[in-house]
Amino acid sequence: MNAVGNTNAPIYGVAAEFQCARDLYHAAEKIRDAGFEKWDVFSPFPIHGMDEAMGLKRSILGKLVFLGGLTGFLTAITMEFGTSSFLYPLIVAGKPTNLFTVPAFFPVMFELTILLSAFTAVFGMLILNGLPRLNHQLFNWDRFKKVTEDKFFVAIEARDQKFSTRSVSDFLESLGATNITTIHGD
Amino acid sequence: MSGHEPSQPGSHTFDYKHVGGRFLGLVALAIVAYALVGFGAISNKEQFAFSYLFAFFFFFTICMGGLFWQLVHHAVDAEWSVVVRRQMENLASLLIVMGVLFIPLIFVAPTLWTWMSIDPAHNIVLGEKSAYLNDWFFWIRASFYFSFFTIASLWLRSNSIKQDAEGAAKYTIWNRKITFASLPFFAVCLTFAAIDWLMGLDFLWFSTMWGVYIFAGTALSSLCVIVLIITALRNVGYFKNVISMEHYHIMGKLMLAFTIFWAYIGFSQYMLIWYANIPEETTYYLRRNTETWQIMSTAMVVGHFFVPFALLLFNFGKKRPGFLCGMALWILSMHLLDMYVIVLPALHKAGVQIHWLDVACLVAIGCTLACVFLKRLGSAPLWPLRDPRLAKSIALKN
Repeated sequence: MNAVGNTNAPIYGVAAEFQCARDLYHAAEKIRDAGFEKWDVFSPFPIHGMDEAMGLKRSILGKLVFLGGLTGFLTAITMEFGTSSFLYPLIVAGKPTNLFTVPAFFPVMFELTILLSAFTAVFGMLILNGLPRLNHQLFNWDRFKKVTEDKFFVAIEARDQKFSTRSVSDFLESLGATNITTIHGD
Repeated sequence: MSGHEPSQPGSHTFDYKHVGGRFLGLVALAIVAYALVGFGAISNKEQFAFSYLFAFFFFFTICMGGLFWQLVHHAVDAEWSVVVRRQMENLASLLIVMGVLFIPLIFVAPTLWTWMSIDPAHNIVLGEKSAYLNDWFFWIRASFYFSFFTIASLWLRSNSIKQDAEGAAKYTIWNRKITFASLPFFAVCLTFAAIDWLMGLDFLWFSTMWGVYIFAGTALSSLCVIVLIITALRNVGYFKNVISMEHYHIMGKLMLAFTIFWAYIGFSQYMLIWYANIPEETTYYLRRNTETWQIMSTAMVVGHFFVPFALLLFNFGKKRPGFLCGMALWILSMHLLDMYVIVLPALHKAGVQIHWLDVACLVAIGCTLACVFLKRLGSAPLWPLRDPRLAKSIALKN
């Protein structure tokens, strides 16, 4: 079996190559069923149904976005009613300075809710994905560059409970993978 | 349809045994309702005019929505909506009936649209607007709207049905071309129809968001009707292995989206007028936010937005046909209230006064449309059998 990277450095995991999306999809189902947890697939384009084939759980991002939006909404309410209705009531165009002023306050509530939801969605997604990062161990492998072209990859990481170089590479071979390679760090 | 595979989608032609004698019941109900409406038109012409316009526009928006969803389907080359498209086509093909049902309004036009009986020379505002608000231009517009609606809806539908027989992809491409030609006309016609027939009830009043406000209700209410039609057909055994919960999920998401869109537009219109506080603009909301109309307007804010928003926001109901149908009925009743609050305050200035003619007109027009719809349902397969994207649409996954 090949090894890439600095062979004295700790092992990142074992990666292997597939020739088409269907093979990758079925391999993912079997890896999922074998009980691996720290692993990922890589392909030049999104594959429909892959999240199910990998057994991915629903992301918590949606709940984070809700909290982000709620924060924006409550901020708007506090800042608007707090200042304009209680601390320093200003009568503008004959409009009341109490709860009935709410139509004028809606746009700000709406915008702040949207703004903080969007921020949470974008930055939360980056954080949950561990991005941005400068490099990744998989880039030590030259063949992996084909992932943006026409090849499909699987990598099972060494931090998985069930990981051992030999059993994982045998397992990947049984799934029909080629170019099974041990990836080391730098 | 070939053979005996296990995933056989079942019959695709509507069998009238599911309707049976109820069709005659509908016809009888329509006749009784028309008799009542005719009696009402003689005894209380004013009330008839407004009740009829209210009922007419309620159903008009629903049929227009059928055309809208179809145009969207072709314009964006959509995949998911192939299986439900025939029902949109059936709904839109009722627009020709709406054109016929418009005729009674011609006879009560001066009662509804008061500018018709005022001399522009004696009213400065009307004088300024008379280039647009004059008799002959009004009727030319109305006939243009209905000609366009009829041609677009029937042409799209006939191409779609021809494809069922021949299977040629050229009909899909043709329909796309018709759609691109129709989209601007659709937007303009719906906007100006709303301006002519609803905003024109008070020629002194204007809102620049009127067209898009009516459009928001149009798209939403007709989506609800599509959900109800699809579910009714599923319940008697059609669409097996054709329409799945994934399709319901998409329709549920669109219901949520257009609930929000309606509220966004409705609020924007209200807020701009409320904040600017210009007398000629505020008259509309002043009447609808005073007396008993206030209750109706408030009920609409809660019922047309907050209730469906809260219930549709979460995932639990969107894949349940029963739940979505409940939501669809609720939203439709709110759309009815919306139309009521738009039209009737122009007549009952002092407060809400529900008249039996409101109900009679709704029943009369509703039964007519239901009858024609049932005829349409049986005249073509229930979904486009040989659309190039049918297989992908059936295998839809969100």
